[in-house]
Amino acid sequence: MDRLTKTFLAIIGVLIILSPIGILLVWNYGDAWGEWDPSDLSNQVHEKLTGMEKLSSTWTHAVLPDYNVPGWEDKLHASVGYIISAVVGVALVLGAYYALMKFVSPSS
Amino acid sequence: MHIPDGYLGPYTCMFFYIVMIPFWYKGIKWLKNLHPKQVPLLGVLTAFSFLVMMYNLPVPDGTTAHIVGGTIIAILIGPWAATVSISIVLLIQALFFGDGGITTYAANCFNMAVVLPFVGYYTYRVLRTKINDVAAAGIGAYVGLVTAAIVAGFEFGLQPYIQQGYCPYTFWVSVPAMAFAHLVTAGPAAAVVTATVLWYVKKSQPELFSMGEPEALRG
Repeated sequence: MDRLTKTFLAIIGVLIILSPIGILLVWNYGDAWGEWDPSDLSNQVHEKLTGMEKLSSTWTHAVLPDYNVPGWEDKLHASVGYIISAVVGVALVLGAYYALMKFVSPSS
Repeated sequence: MHIPDGYLGPYTCMFFYIVMIPFWYKGIKWLKNLHPKQVPLLGVLTAFSFLVMMYNLPVPDGTTAHIVGGTIIAILIGPWAATVSISIVLLIQALFFGDGGITTYAANCFNMAVVLPFVGYYTYRVLRTKINDVAAAGIGAYVGLVTAAIVAGFEFGLQPYIQQGYCPYTFWVSVPAMAFAHLVTAGPAAAVVTATVLWYVKKSQPELFSMGEPEALRG
């Protein structure tokens, strides 16, 4: 493993530990534009969004929805949930990446 | 910038799946060009991209935005590598964290895994001949992220004209909103992060700085 990869590994560790900044900094902020809950949006525009209602429940099996353990609402719990999500996410991303690499097997 | 399920109708979603097939195909095929030494680096950069997207930044209008890290990957490894790597991140985010969507997955890949790294990379390549390459990388990241946000804004905003009952806002609303969040908050953040990373790489391992070049890969 080269030096740059090692440096990035260290950065990844720091980013995981500091990840709660990503929610605490915007605790009282709304959602990103276009990422609102469908029923809230429907009330906002006074319009029944039938297609959206149907498609929005396409996938309901997210284990850590919104990068949190369901029910961990307060700042402390949400921060711990966020760190757990960061660790799980990094593991899944690396797992998927190496699975794809095995399939592609570069330079072989 | 993650379009959730329900905001784009079936025709729009299908259109982007068809558009993305050649990009995914080319990207995965391109991975064979990777030098064995680059394999772990692209892995950590993919994890890096996942993590930087968790850093929601406050936008003055009360919303949030985040950076993607796509231009960094495009410059250090190559834009096609960024396409694959960010597509992996978006898939994990949609499946396990409910961020983005399944029906909108291809549209999100088009914005963040194609438009962003390619615009960022080529902006960098053009500017690099005229100005300092670290500055060129920062500006590339800025332009790439803002362009991707505007393209996402157009997708939201064209939806009411294609099929009703999904995203209710036309592009007169969605494009300025998406552009604003990324022009003032996420764009500058992307520029600073990208320039800092590239400055460090140039200083510590200058030989890696040019590894994303097609010539260097063949040589």
